[in-house]
Amino acid sequence: MHLWHNFSAIWRSVPFLLKGLPITLSLTGLSGLIGIGIGLALALMKISKNKLFRWFALIYIDLFRGTPLLLQIMIVYYALPLNIDAFSAAIIALSLNAAAYLAEIFRAGIESISKGQMEAALSVGMNYSQAMRYIIIPQTIRRIIPPTTNEIVALLKDTSLVMVIGLAEIVYKAKQIGSATANFLTPLMFAAILYLIFTIPLTRYAEKLERRFSRGD
Amino acid sequence: MIRTVNLTKKFGNLLVFEDVNFKIEKGERVVIIGPSGAGKSTFIRCLNFLEFPTSGDVYFEGKRIDKNSNLPAIRQRIGMVFQHFNLFPHLTALQNVTIAPIKVKKMSEKEANEIAMYYLSKVGLADRINHYPSQLSGGEKQRIAIARALAMKPDLMLFDEPTSALDVEMVKEVLDTIEKLAFEGMTMIVVTHEISFAKEVADRLIFMADHHIVEENTPSEFFAHPRTERAKKFLNKIVNI
Repeated sequence: MHLWHNFSAIWRSVPFLLKGLPITLSLTGLSGLIGIGIGLALALMKISKNKLFRWFALIYIDLFRGTPLLLQIMIVYYALPLNIDAFSAAIIALSLNAAAYLAEIFRAGIESISKGQMEAALSVGMNYSQAMRYIIIPQTIRRIIPPTTNEIVALLKDTSLVMVIGLAEIVYKAKQIGSATANFLTPLMFAAILYLIFTIPLTRYAEKLERRFSRGD
Repeated sequence: MIRTVNLTKKFGNLLVFEDVNFKIEKGERVVIIGPSGAGKSTFIRCLNFLEFPTSGDVYFEGKRIDKNSNLPAIRQRIGMVFQHFNLFPHLTALQNVTIAPIKVKKMSEKEANEIAMYYLSKVGLADRINHYPSQLSGGEKQRIAIARALAMKPDLMLFDEPTSALDVEMVKEVLDTIEKLAFEGMTMIVVTHEISFAKEVADRLIFMADHHIVEENTPSEFFAHPRTERAKKFLNKIVNI
């Protein structure tokens, strides 16, 4: 009886929990896109001949990979004199953090293209940026899609950390329901299922691509 | 056309070649042979500045080139064919040939396709234009690579051991293609181990060993009467194989 009462209360709160989903997805989408842009720039800096660029990328990547994301989110929102809302702060922290991980993926992808490709491109008269744009990057893209997809899955899960700055994403909503109904198990489980609906297909997709690329030329 | 003065290349402390004085005139065909590690490949890679020489000078048509020169413009005029082909795997045979004319020379796609078809027919691969490199044999890949270099209408062609990575039965088709070019008057420098090819094609043969040019002669003279002990030793080895 008690359990049933609880269950129906939770059932009624499902729409409430689902309201957290757009926040989770938009944080993932926006931070992913911005992170890819910054990550590509960092990867190019890290392999560039310019020492200053290389150092900048190195320090950036070390800082963001070497400290907890939770800490980075709190620094952006509470400590920096930015005067922005929680959503913007979350986007900044998540995308800067994802960029550090993505940069390493992109750098490894670019470096996995044989040296002969750059030489052949230069030998027909291309300059460095033409060689990158028409020869190296297109080949890199197919190699980095699987690890990048995995990184996006990680980002999707990491968005749950922004509840500490009061953003009502899925986990935040689940906790609210738990507090109101005195039953944490069901809403938290439901939140877990919501994540899995996105993460499992994405992970499978990445694995499939990885198998296909490792088989092919 | 191209000239080097005391050209020297080191990788760190490792000496690759030293004080190489070399010259090639328009229309000349020069073959470079020698034991591996003699610096032959690195030397021709210094001519189009894929490697930067450590010291000495390279002159292209009388002008000294260094790393601040407009290297893309110079490289457009110096075609290069690599030992491992280095075709672009994400592009079809036709696109491999047209990409530089389109992106570098800003040619229209139609014009570039016409030029590409001309050179692809010339290397005997007009029927392979829509194949990707992974669908082609080694010999076909190398002939596409030759067409790719020719499509930029270079004044000089560099061949870096163009047949060393090929199965034996594909060597001839590639050498025949290069010979055809030679007889049409293309200026070329070929690093190779193919003796009969050298005799057939080259006006001049350069023997490089132990970081230096050891001997320079016509191919027939060099193979019949090598002047130095180093050349005799080398020829003994390769003939006995």
